[in-house]
Amino acid sequence: MNGLRAAIVRGARRTRRRGDGVHAPRSGDGYEFVQLRGYEEGDDPRRIDWAATARVGSLQTRVFLEETSLVLAAFIDESASMRVGRKRRLTDAADDALRAWFGAAESEDRTLRIVDDRIVNGTRPALHARAARPFDLRRTLTFAAHVLPVGASLLAVLDGFDLPAEESPSAGPVDELLLAVAARCDATVLLARDPWYDGLPLRGLRRVRDAESGRSRLLYFGRRARERFVAAVAEREKRLTARFRNAGWRVGALDETDGRASLDRAFGLIGALDFAPAGA
Amino acid sequence: MSFAHPFVLALTLLAVAALLWGLRALDRRRSADALAYSNLAFLEAAAATRVPWPAIVAGVWALAAACFGVALAGPHLVAPVAVRDGAVALCIDTSGSMSATDVQPTRADAALRAVRAFIDSVPDGTRISIVAFSSSAAVIMPASDDKDAVRDALARIPAPNGGTAIGDALDVAARSLPPVRHRAIVLVTDGVNNAGSDPLEVAPQIGATGTTIDTVGIGTSGSGLLIPGTSEEADLDESALRAVAEAGHGAYARVGDADALARRLSDIARSTTVEPRRIDASFPLAIAGGTIMIVATFGAFGLGRFP
Repeated sequence: MNGLRAAIVRGARRTRRRGDGVHAPRSGDGYEFVQLRGYEEGDDPRRIDWAATARVGSLQTRVFLEETSLVLAAFIDESASMRVGRKRRLTDAADDALRAWFGAAESEDRTLRIVDDRIVNGTRPALHARAARPFDLRRTLTFAAHVLPVGASLLAVLDGFDLPAEESPSAGPVDELLLAVAARCDATVLLARDPWYDGLPLRGLRRVRDAESGRSRLLYFGRRARERFVAAVAEREKRLTARFRNAGWRVGALDETDGRASLDRAFGLIGALDFAPAGA
Repeated sequence: MSFAHPFVLALTLLAVAALLWGLRALDRRRSADALAYSNLAFLEAAAATRVPWPAIVAGVWALAAACFGVALAGPHLVAPVAVRDGAVALCIDTSGSMSATDVQPTRADAALRAVRAFIDSVPDGTRISIVAFSSSAAVIMPASDDKDAVRDALARIPAPNGGTAIGDALDVAARSLPPVRHRAIVLVTDGVNNAGSDPLEVAPQIGATGTTIDTVGIGTSGSGLLIPGTSEEADLDESALRAVAEAGHGAYARVGDADALARRLSDIARSTTVEPRRIDASFPLAIAGGTIMIVATFGAFGLGRFP
């Protein structure tokens, strides 16, 4: 079993919050012993290995291999706002992450991808599926909350620009959907990191085009404007991360240079990137 | 403003408008090469500057182009230009009624203060003569462009006494003026002509020589003072002063206090020592356009618009 799959399995097994923060064990734990690990809040007390606890001096929990197969689901924001980047597009990095995600599947697992309002089953079709309609986060979350099997592992890759602002009246329903999806699945989101998170490559008067609408504006970028931009990007990432985490999602940053590594970082398999940009 | 070649102006402005339109279209076409950003609204909110630099740069370029366009059309302005070689005669009433205190401290002192303000206000090079008059008129200071000498001469103005010979004063003032192109007489009086020649006969003759006559009536009605040798109250003959001013192509004004009198004489000093002159504004506009163009170019370099 590759490291990513093991991490996904651990994630799928982890207990999660339900309702007002009550932890409940997930059903479906198997019987094939895998390892001992320190007790974590929410572990089933029946899984505590008292002999090991006595030896080590702290509570130890027996971990068993889940016998049920994984359901690996994913959706990607394919909108034009993701087709930007410094050296390569964010969608390319998203494809890397998607390949790694579905690559973790084994024969008994099920892979599926949410594209528009449909499910594309099977690894190859899922990898090559392309959206026919503009990405709509709310619609996609609604669909995921209703159709994904309980206990599925979900990967979402998006830039969060279509997530309503926290102070917006439409933010509440979307946040509820985030909670609903996280309650149903082991949800992971890779938030596309702004390609210019560490500084805009623009000085003076420059024309900038909106990737989504094509609208362009001539803007002046002075030193202070560039500093404000870096700070705003860092703040936006921080707020987005907190929002998804509060909803029970695992959060990672999608780095345009390596989507696979971004996914590994999200699962803690390799060292995390410094999420706050240098100099922010 | 008039233009020697109005059609050139129209053509130039059209050309400038076409150029700006072309540049704008080119700039829009360049938007395909513009940096694509995920969310322009976020970028604008995050890095927006309060100063509308793009509009300022465009405005400065447009201003420079407009200056060149207008300069090519040969603009001519009619503007008041200071006359350096003008001559002004100040006729100051020293009749007995000038000692009245309805104008503080007295009409005579207020008149002297106003005359000093007049001297300060005329352009350098203007020749000034002083004529004092009561029952008769005399030149206190012949025409001179030495302002200090003229100020010193004010000390020789006699104390208020006697009648009011306005006609004689105008005649003496006209004779005191040198034969220069721009001549003016400023008459400051508080009374009615009661001695010498009739000002209504003298003024038209002076006016016919091209000399301007401005008249200023000083004092308030009901001062209580009588015209010497009569039982009549010293009061202004405004209709006569107005007629004198009209005959001399000037203006009449009545003032009731010292400050107003000083302001009035200062105004007259500026208006009687200037003349409307037709000026060719092509060169200054071209220079202005060039300067603005240089500033705009350096500014644009600074803002990263070039290369």
